[in-house]
Amino acid sequence: MRLALAWRILTHDKGRTALAVAGVFLAILLVFVQLGFFIAVPRGGMLLYDRARFDLLLASTGYEYQVQPGQFPLGLLEKARTAPDVVLAAPLYFGSAKWRSGEDGKAPDVFVIGLDPQARVFSADELNRQLVILDRPDTALVDSMTRPMFGPLTTGRVVDIDGDKVRIGGDYVLGTGFMGLGVILLSADNFAHLFPHRALGQVNLGLIQLKPGVAPDDAAAALRKLLGNGVRIFTRPELEAHETAYWTTRTSVGLLFGSGLIVSFVVGVMVVYQILATQVSRQLPQFATLKAVGYADRFLGGTVTAMALMIVLAGFFPALVAALGIYAVIRDKTLLPVEMSGTRIAAVFAATLAMAAASALLSMNTLRRADPADLFG
Amino acid sequence: MIATSNPAHQRRSAGFVPLAWRNLLANKPRLLRSSGGIGFAVLLMLMQLGFERAFFNASLEVIRLLDGEIFLQRASKYRFATKDPFPARDLETARAIPGVATAWPLYADWHHLFWRNPSDDKDFLVRVFAFDPDQPVLSLPELDGHPTDAGDPDTAIVDRRARRFVGMDPPPRTAALNGTKINITGSFALGPDFENDGTVVVADRTFAKLLPGPGGGPPDVELGVIKLTPGSDPTALQQAITAAVPTNIAVLTKPQLLELERKFQADVSSAGPIFAMGTLVGFIVGMLISYQIIYTDLAEQQPQYATMKAMGYRSGYLVRVVLEQAVLSALTGWVPAFLLAILLFRIVGEIALLPLRMTLELALVSLALTLGMCLISAVLAVRRVVTADPAEVF
Repeated sequence: MRLALAWRILTHDKGRTALAVAGVFLAILLVFVQLGFFIAVPRGGMLLYDRARFDLLLASTGYEYQVQPGQFPLGLLEKARTAPDVVLAAPLYFGSAKWRSGEDGKAPDVFVIGLDPQARVFSADELNRQLVILDRPDTALVDSMTRPMFGPLTTGRVVDIDGDKVRIGGDYVLGTGFMGLGVILLSADNFAHLFPHRALGQVNLGLIQLKPGVAPDDAAAALRKLLGNGVRIFTRPELEAHETAYWTTRTSVGLLFGSGLIVSFVVGVMVVYQILATQVSRQLPQFATLKAVGYADRFLGGTVTAMALMIVLAGFFPALVAALGIYAVIRDKTLLPVEMSGTRIAAVFAATLAMAAASALLSMNTLRRADPADLFG
Repeated sequence: MIATSNPAHQRRSAGFVPLAWRNLLANKPRLLRSSGGIGFAVLLMLMQLGFERAFFNASLEVIRLLDGEIFLQRASKYRFATKDPFPARDLETARAIPGVATAWPLYADWHHLFWRNPSDDKDFLVRVFAFDPDQPVLSLPELDGHPTDAGDPDTAIVDRRARRFVGMDPPPRTAALNGTKINITGSFALGPDFENDGTVVVADRTFAKLLPGPGGGPPDVELGVIKLTPGSDPTALQQAITAAVPTNIAVLTKPQLLELERKFQADVSSAGPIFAMGTLVGFIVGMLISYQIIYTDLAEQQPQYATMKAMGYRSGYLVRVVLEQAVLSALTGWVPAFLLAILLFRIVGEIALLPLRMTLELALVSLALTLGMCLISAVLAVRRVVTADPAEVF
């Protein structure tokens, strides 16, 4: 009955209801977009980890985040390799160099990853197979997401990196994330050649793969005992928590999109409240009549709440569809991994219900003015 | 409105704002609702616009502080915050040109100097600027302390607006840069940007010790800062310097230097479209809310409008009343949103250390957007008045 009445009121004035739905649609869409960025930025910072194959990560005790990991001795990684549960312990070297073959004579900075071409460190086997090219002298693989300002990335092109001639041996699809404007892979030997001041005895990160069935937490505990305090060991969930905390608390990202999230939510509440209050005040005589014939306040309140719910639900589903489209555009334009997940849908849905509840609550004030005595005023 | 024999005269004597104003005040709860609804839409626009400007300003801030008219940098330098220095002799070439009053080097580094926070012994990458302390090429804001002290070896002044975890606020007495002990003799208030958490300023000699140039000699120059003798023609001198220095050196005016950075940021970051989208949503939502308010009001007042028409008021006048009402409701939404935004900018700016500022430009842009959204919705809604048929009253 409440639902039916709410439905009748809403469909009685279709134009106005359409407006309300459009407003709620936009507000929910904006909530989706802000939330998308809020989550996508840390994800963008995790790109390399997400696409690498490892169970534990070895890092310096001064580890900040992926691009600023600090260094630790290769000896510790070699020691970790001797542990019974460890199948692979592969070093990663990071460096930054000037790509002096950019467009318009510019020299953008390129993020260089040095690795052992024999170690299958990436999730994509296609990329692991490609790594053999890196055994050739001064040959690099270029991330296909490298910005256009680096010039053409055609295989065989010889580019000047920090004064060294390096041949592009091919490209791969991983994503540059926040590593830089461009990323290349080199073998550890070629890396040492490009950065003569860097000793290969100091590594930036160590990727550890465990034997199948070994619990990462147990292996991490065993390795901590074996390696001592000179190195930090992350399991994957620990790493994800660390990187997310870095991006949301150490940078302005959290505040920026967090505040956008809150304001879009409030705007949503305002839109629904606006429509509800107008409808209620327009129907005030009818509501008063209902009261006069014996309907309780609870019934009237329930009707208003049902109206709020109908409006936000009608706005939510189109907003979800539109958000999927916008996420695809953002993925395309910004190369950030903005993806829709079940939890995200659930969270926004909960926020949507809260929007309805808040605006219904605000409208109760207007409803309270429904006084049967006024009917005969 | 009491009928008179000459409504046009009545209109003049009553003025036309009062009717719009009275319509607005007639229903106080509705006024509050409309002010709140429009206000939040405006606040959303203001925050998105403010964030967008703060994002770009954060990286432009330090360039604005450069105390010079013409700048030399390596032509391959694609943005300010990247190390791509050139030999000091190219700056000397420029200095010898008539019309150049001074030509001083700025040394800088963004990726190689780690600051050890003395309170927790953690290392953080910082950006470091260096110059001859007698020739400060950066006008540091709210400088506190004695910048000439920074001329002593191994002393530095630091940014008290650096991110908190770096440990520069309040400035410690001593800290370490790449393991070298540094005495802190003062501080300034610059603030971080999206890549740099903290800033340290040292004397050129200290910088040379920390990061020696090629072959252990003096470091190369990141940016040449040139001042001209009064009365000289900047365009002509820019050309003269360009002709004198090698082609791998770019000679830029300050607007050109700022434009290079702005263009780089706009090209590589997605901040522009992200915030533009938020602003657009605020605008449309504001339009919907304001349409809804005006439409409802018109629907309720339709008999009155029809009566006025019957009395001889022309549609043009009634339309004007509606548009005035739209402007007034825009203002009742904009004013509180504007005040709230000033407060929010302060709070968020302090917490996020962003240059979030309410500027005249931002105030005017948001006011124009607010008036635009309310007027567009009024125009869409006003057809009701135009079609108000006096016959319907009866």
